[in-house]
Amino acid sequence: MIRRISNVISHFDHILPLFAAACAIIAAIAIISLPFTYVPDQLYPKTINRASNLDPYDRGGPPFTQAVIHSQYPGNSPSAGYVTTYLTPFSRFLADSTAHLGTTIVAHPGGILDEILYNTRGLDTVVEPTILFIAFAIASYLFRREE
Amino acid sequence: MIAVGGEPFYYLEFGDIVLYFSPVTTTLFVLALLFTLFVLASRPERQVDIAFGSDAYLAKVITPGELHFRKFMATACGLASMGAMVTGDVFDFTLFASLVGITNIGIVAAVKNRHVQNAAYQYGLVSLSATVPLFSGAAMVAATTGTLSLIELAKGTYPAVPLAVKSFLVLGIIGEGMAPFYAAKAEMFRAPGAPYVIMCSLSSLLIFLRVVEIAMTM
Repeated sequence: MIRRISNVISHFDHILPLFAAACAIIAAIAIISLPFTYVPDQLYPKTINRASNLDPYDRGGPPFTQAVIHSQYPGNSPSAGYVTTYLTPFSRFLADSTAHLGTTIVAHPGGILDEILYNTRGLDTVVEPTILFIAFAIASYLFRREE
Repeated sequence: MIAVGGEPFYYLEFGDIVLYFSPVTTTLFVLALLFTLFVLASRPERQVDIAFGSDAYLAKVITPGELHFRKFMATACGLASMGAMVTGDVFDFTLFASLVGITNIGIVAAVKNRHVQNAAYQYGLVSLSATVPLFSGAAMVAATTGTLSLIELAKGTYPAVPLAVKSFLVLGIIGEGMAPFYAAKAEMFRAPGAPYVIMCSLSSLLIFLRVVEIAMTM
């Protein structure tokens, strides 16, 4: 019996179905053990001001002053909050004249910098593109390999 | 404070992400560092197949391109596991774990052999699907406790993380580190390049050990 099981497991074609089955079992356990209580006291609170022109990314505060950025260890990122409200004049013009600047977070220079991403959790932001670049490296190596 | 891994004696702060060096994490970190140095210094082994029934034998050649790429992948894998060993943040740990997973695939996929390529494709699919429980586990940790920092979670003042959430996290790590159990089979006997597959095995062993520490801490 054990030999038969180990024979099935040893084929790498079977690991995806096996893993999917494990995922299904764990997900079923998770659904049975619902509800999980959501803790309202979140570390990174999200408030959305629908009236603002910078809609989903408005972190508040006037430019060149320090906006309040909630973080786990405020002492480790003392400069957080200075950049988040900065807009270049062109971006400021767009923000004043359209209602959709908040959706173009990376589409223009001097746009809205989300300081939770780029300051207090900067290491995450470094690791994320690293994953992407490694994936590109593998893909380009496999694609360009001489046959 | 962090009872499972011993008292941290050094903190390295990157904003909210604080790396901590406790006896356990330092040991794992030094292991990963040593093996990364070994990988950098080592040359791949050269396999020789003896043709049965005659005097001929076939030496398998590793092209410099393949050597460099696999050495690069193995080094990246070592760096990723070093990061995963000492990070003090659940989400950061999941990111490093998925980096380990993708570099493992890179090590295996660089071999020009049909069988190994098929295997690497399957690991890729598993590691791709493992990101779902992995990152959803991290998201549920944030939702059920309100924080992601392991140092804060270890204090015990936060609500307990449900068992199902921990199993999501462990399941994701199993999926990311699944490759070596099969890679050893596909690689060591069919493909040249011995030292790099050891990195593959070691990194997944290390992230398994670390996820046990994390699951017991929170």
